[in-house]
Amino acid sequence: MSALSLRALAWIVARDCNSTIGGQAAIELMRRSLARAGWLDDAQHGLLLAVSRFTPGTNMLAYCASLGWTLGRGAGAIVAVAAASLPAAALVAVISAAITSIDRWPGVRAVLAVATLAAAGLVLSSAWTLTRPYLRGSRRIWTVASIAIAAALAAAGVTPVRVLLMLAIWGALTPQKETAAR
Amino acid sequence: MSLGLLYLLLLKATVTSFSGMGSLPQIRQDFVVTRRVVDDEQLSRAVLVGRSTPGPLGAFVVSIGYAARGWPGAVAGWLAVVTPAFLAVPLLVLLRRWLYLSRLRTAVDAVIIAGATLLVPSGVGLARDAIAQLFQGG
Repeated sequence: MSALSLRALAWIVARDCNSTIGGQAAIELMRRSLARAGWLDDAQHGLLLAVSRFTPGTNMLAYCASLGWTLGRGAGAIVAVAAASLPAAALVAVISAAITSIDRWPGVRAVLAVATLAAAGLVLSSAWTLTRPYLRGSRRIWTVASIAIAAALAAAGVTPVRVLLMLAIWGALTPQKETAAR
Repeated sequence: MSLGLLYLLLLKATVTSFSGMGSLPQIRQDFVVTRRVVDDEQLSRAVLVGRSTPGPLGAFVVSIGYAARGWPGAVAGWLAVVTPAFLAVPLLVLLRRWLYLSRLRTAVDAVIIAGATLLVPSGVGLARDAIAQLFQGG
């Protein structure tokens, strides 16, 4: 990857990660931006998302580290993580230093509520984008079973990381011939 | 509290959690209950700032660092947030190396599907909070 591409990666990651509250909406924005530029396909995105889910800490930053590594090796990983986290960290530090509470400003709260609603839409859209490829072809029943198991475990109060581990075991025990191209 | 210890305590919390806000219980235990360098009000304010600011939810750790040691503490907090992310790289390399195994490929597919399924309650929860805030008059 050229220096220009690293700059472009930094710009996309910084813009998309720091324009939403929370990780999943930001990851979906990044997926769309990078897919438009032809840098990332849905299968790669799915793999990066799976890795980020198994990495301790903030999922969004783990996604950025693996994305940066995929597109630009070590330099890409460092650039992507820095671009994703530095603007937000600086803003948090400045706000922490400057104010006692922004919650008392009704206008700010209303804007945040609308932004959160938009983020929720992006999160749900991301869930559908990830699942849709598996609902085509001969693995439909296996996919529906996987969704049902994950939903049942989550509803039973099993922690997300345990749900993921149990589904990994389920997948290893039920190997499928057809799989998403990577 | 030294900066090194501050970083290590925050790192302990971030590296043992699997989501942005997941480190909160450990941080409260170490900083509010055990060492008393931050009080509950500062902790709540840090969470509020983290949740109200664009970017990763885990960025509230920066605010905890600031509350404990000022600007150098904020830098320690940022380092504690980003350090675990780099563990994703060896995980990704290992996963790609063994991806020709059909059992592993299917396991990864199952994890992707489970991850997508787990997004639904998160999205619904976000929407519910936002709608509640709007109906409370912003």
